[in-house]
Formats: sequence, C-alpha cells, structure tokens
Amino acid sequence: MAPPIPEVAPEITVGVIAAITAFLTISILLGYLMRKKAKSFEEWLVGRGDIGPLVTGFALVATYLSGWAIFGNAGLGYAYGWSGSWLIGTTSVAGIALCLVIGYRMRRYVAFGTRTVPEMLRVRFESRTVQALAGLAMIVLLIVYSVGQYKAMATVWTITTNTPFYGSLLATAILVLVYLSVGGYTGTQWVSGFQGVLLTIVGWTLGIAALIWAGGPAEIAGAIGTQTFTYPGGNQTQISLKDYTLPLPPPEGLAFPGVDYVGVVVAVFMFLFMATGFPHNIARFLGTRKITKREYWMMLPILVVGGLTPLWIGVVGLAARTVWGDSLMATNPPIYGDSAAVYASISAGGVPLASLFAASVFAAAVATLAGMVMVMATNITRDFIHNAYPKASPKKLLRLTKLMLIPFIAIPLWWTFTSPPPILSEFMAGSAVAQAGIFFFVVGVSMYWKRATKWGAISTIIYGLTLTILHPKAYGKFVGLYHWGYWALLLMFGAASIYFIISLATKPVPEERLEKLFPARK
Amino acid sequence: MSKIHGLLAIMVLCIILVPVIAYLLGGWYTYWGHALLAIVFGVLVVFIKTRYYWEEE
Repeated sequence: MAPPIPEVAPEITVGVIAAITAFLTISILLGYLMRKKAKSFEEWLVGRGDIGPLVTGFALVATYLSGWAIFGNAGLGYAYGWSGSWLIGTTSVAGIALCLVIGYRMRRYVAFGTRTVPEMLRVRFESRTVQALAGLAMIVLLIVYSVGQYKAMATVWTITTNTPFYGSLLATAILVLVYLSVGGYTGTQWVSGFQGVLLTIVGWTLGIAALIWAGGPAEIAGAIGTQTFTYPGGNQTQISLKDYTLPLPPPEGLAFPGVDYVGVVVAVFMFLFMATGFPHNIARFLGTRKITKREYWMMLPILVVGGLTPLWIGVVGLAARTVWGDSLMATNPPIYGDSAAVYASISAGGVPLASLFAASVFAAAVATLAGMVMVMATNITRDFIHNAYPKASPKKLLRLTKLMLIPFIAIPLWWTFTSPPPILSEFMAGSAVAQAGIFFFVVGVSMYWKRATKWGAISTIIYGLTLTILHPKAYGKFVGLYHWGYWALLLMFGAASIYFIISLATKPVPEERLEKLFPARK
Repeated sequence: MSKIHGLLAIMVLCIILVPVIAYLLGGWYTYWGHALLAIVFGVLVVFIKTRYYWEEE
C-alpha cells in the first residue's frame, strides 16, 4: 500500500509564508535600488546596457523557466511518466544555447531607441503595423502563459496554507497587484538574475532529494514501468507508462504531444525554437553590454546548469509517482497531479525544502506574471497608442500603463477561475508553440536575414495567431485538427514557410536603409 | 566537406538522435541522454559562433 500523502503542519505554513515574504522583499528591494539608479523609465526597463554575462545568463534562466519548469514539470512526470519528458524539456539546453547565439544581436537595436521586442521590429522593418501586430500577438499568447503562473502560485498556496483553491487564486492576484504597485514589476536584469540563481539551486536540490527519497533511479524506473495512465479526476486505464510515447485513445488523446512519434519530434523543435521565440526571453539582451569571446563561453555553463533545472523538476514528478502511485490524480480538484512537487518537497525535505520550493515557485510565477502583465500593458500604450499618436504625453502614457495593469491581471485570473487547466505544463505548451513559431522567425531570423520583409513578418504573425486558435483543445476539433503534433507542425513549419516565401515574393527593404542594422563584417 | 559543415552535421545528428534513443533505449538513459545531446548541441553552436561568426563592434 502506498504511504500516505503528507499532512501540512502549521510549521510548514509559517515556513512557506516566511520564505515567500523574504523572496518578495529581496526582489522588491533590488528592483527599487535599480530604479533609483536609473535616470529614466527606459533605462530602468533595460538598464544602461552595462549588464555583464553572469547576470544576463541567470536572467535568461529565470525568464525561460517560469512556472512550467519549476513547478508544472513535476505534474507532467507524475501524470504521464516517461512520455511526459517531451514537454518537461529534456532538450532545453539546446534551445537556450541557440537563443544565446541568436539573441546577442538584439543589442544592436538599443542604439536606435528600442526598449521592447515590438519596437525592435518597428526599427527592423520600418513598420508601425508590424510593431502593433507583434504587440497584439504578445498580448494573446502571454495571457495564456499568465494562466499557468496563476495555477502554479495558487496550488502552492492552497496546499501549504490549507486555503481553498479559488481563495488562493484571489490571494495570489492581490499579491501580484501589491508586487506591481510597490515597483517590483519589470524583473530588471538584476532581479531576474537573483531569481535565476534561486530557481537553479532549489530545482537541483529538490530533484536530487526526491531521487533519494523515492529509493534511487532504479527503483523509480522499475515503478514507472509497472504503472498505468490515470486521467485527471481518477479514471484509470490499462495504458502503460513504461514507454516514451503514450497511445491515448483518439480523438481527445491525440491532443497530448507524447501520443506518438510525430508529436514528440515536433516537441523537440518546439524546445529548439521557443527560447529564442519567447519575447520576454530574448529581450534580456537589450540590457547586455559588449561581451568578449571568453565571457560568451562563461555564459554557456550557466545556461547548461540552469537549463537542466526543468529535468530535475521532472524527476520530482517521477519520484512522487513511484511513492504515491496515481492517488494524486483523483485528489484536490482542479490541481490533481500538479500537486506532486509540493507534496514531494514536504516529504523529501521537510520544512526547509518545502519553504524554499514555495518561494521558488513564487519567484518564478510572480515575477513572470508581473513581468508579463507589465509587457501587455506596455504593448497597449507603446505599441498601439504611442504608435498611433507619437505626440501623446509621456505622463498620460505612464498613467494609462498603470491603469492597463488591472485588466491584464484580471483576464488570466478570470480564465483560471472559470477553466483551470488540469495539467499546467501541457496547457502552457500551446502558447509556447505559437511563440516559437511566430517569434523565432520574425524576431530571431530577421536579425540575420536581410531579405526578410515586413509583409513576410505580418503574414507570419497573422498565420501563427490563426493557427493558435485552432489548437486541438480549443477550436481545432471543429476543423478536424485533433492531433497536437500535426497542429504544432502546421503552426511552426507553416509559419516558417510563409515567412520565407512571402518575404522573397515581396519588395525587399532598400539596402541603404539596412546598412545601419547589418554593418559589413570586419 | 569543410570543418564547419562537419560541426553542423553533428548538430543535426544531436537532434535526429533524440527520438531514436527514446525508441531504442527508454528509461533514464533516454532522459539524461537527451540532456547530453542538447549540451553537445549547445557547445557546438557557441563554438561555431565564437570561432567562425564572431562579430566585432
């Protein structure tokens, strides 16, 4: 018989609240200090272009990881066994390294007044339409991503404080609002760097502790091999978890990326493209100073160590499945298997590890959510209003930005309230595919490919957004698109084809206008 | 074939081998094997950038 799921003792609640308070205080203080040093709002957003490789490396780790990696991956390992590893991101390091190589060129655009990714696109394509469309795409996709952050935070809060899930959601929304109102919001490079260090240390520690707690690698492999899949809610099946694919029954089962080898191959490409495609990720390079070759190599081990963190959180889920079997799949609706990491942190590490883990989830989720809310609000003011009315007063724009924070906190909150995703990381993968498919090409490739045109970029964004709506769990089933792998293939490689074909078929940006962005190599 | 093409071929192999080792090996060998392939890919992409495409400002 499986050992009981741990009860949450009062000292755990106290420890978690203390750790979260400490983390938020440090983040807010760091944000405040950086804001005091900055001479303008723009300077605060991206610094003075003087951020070194260490802080940039850890900041990249922090923005990449967010709630899916530090928290949701345990739910994937727990619910799907080995086949969950395709979304856990076992190949994450390849994508982050590619982002390191491609993203560094973002620095070039700072000299032309660029402070955000859509602004970079306006400069690259000399088009306000591209800027506005990119802003719109970011809003749509970041709202989806924000839902995941809410679920991560609310789950930790629910389990460790014994508060009902929906009360926890409200509590976390208030926390984000407080975090924003006291100025901890943009996740400046330094704050993100601090969070990246925290996430990496806690992720590795929890993963190793869980591995030992469950009896070691052989014990886990043996246990996963004997278990079968259970749906969120508790319906058991005879489908074994022993393989790297999980043949769930069609049509609903086809929406799982690990259902067959088409899905898993596409998932590998998603991880290859998404680190560069995440606008909040590649924007980290806007504040980076000039880096030497040696410093470039210094960043790689940081990204490797940080990029392995999602794997350790996946190990936590596999360990929890080994110890508790499928019992979590039927408890705590709508949390289900996503609670694996929290319970495992309590069982494997007691109060200290459970508290640190809770603080890390908040580090990842609050900062990402606050950063995304800020980005979406800025998309409205900078990419739409200021774009259409360049003479609008900065004071009014700032006031409007603050006002726009409220709807962008409320919309994903309402979504999580009315329709919380049963398995967080699986849900967030939908947005990740779209960001990878659209922005890897429109932002990443466009910095290197002179022949890219604004029509290529516009078509890619429109196509990518349309396909996003046709996700198998959204409207795809109405047009026969049940299979996640075919959907993601159509989105990413369709976006790539459209980007290149339309760019080549339309008038190129004149060479003399591109000279400043593509100077001849020395 | 130049050296850079050889390195690019290894990078492509790192991607192709991901589903192959999942099919052939399974378990922890696949789990950490994927990470190892990704690290090799990462080292090569940074090597190519710094060795062949370094941009002086």
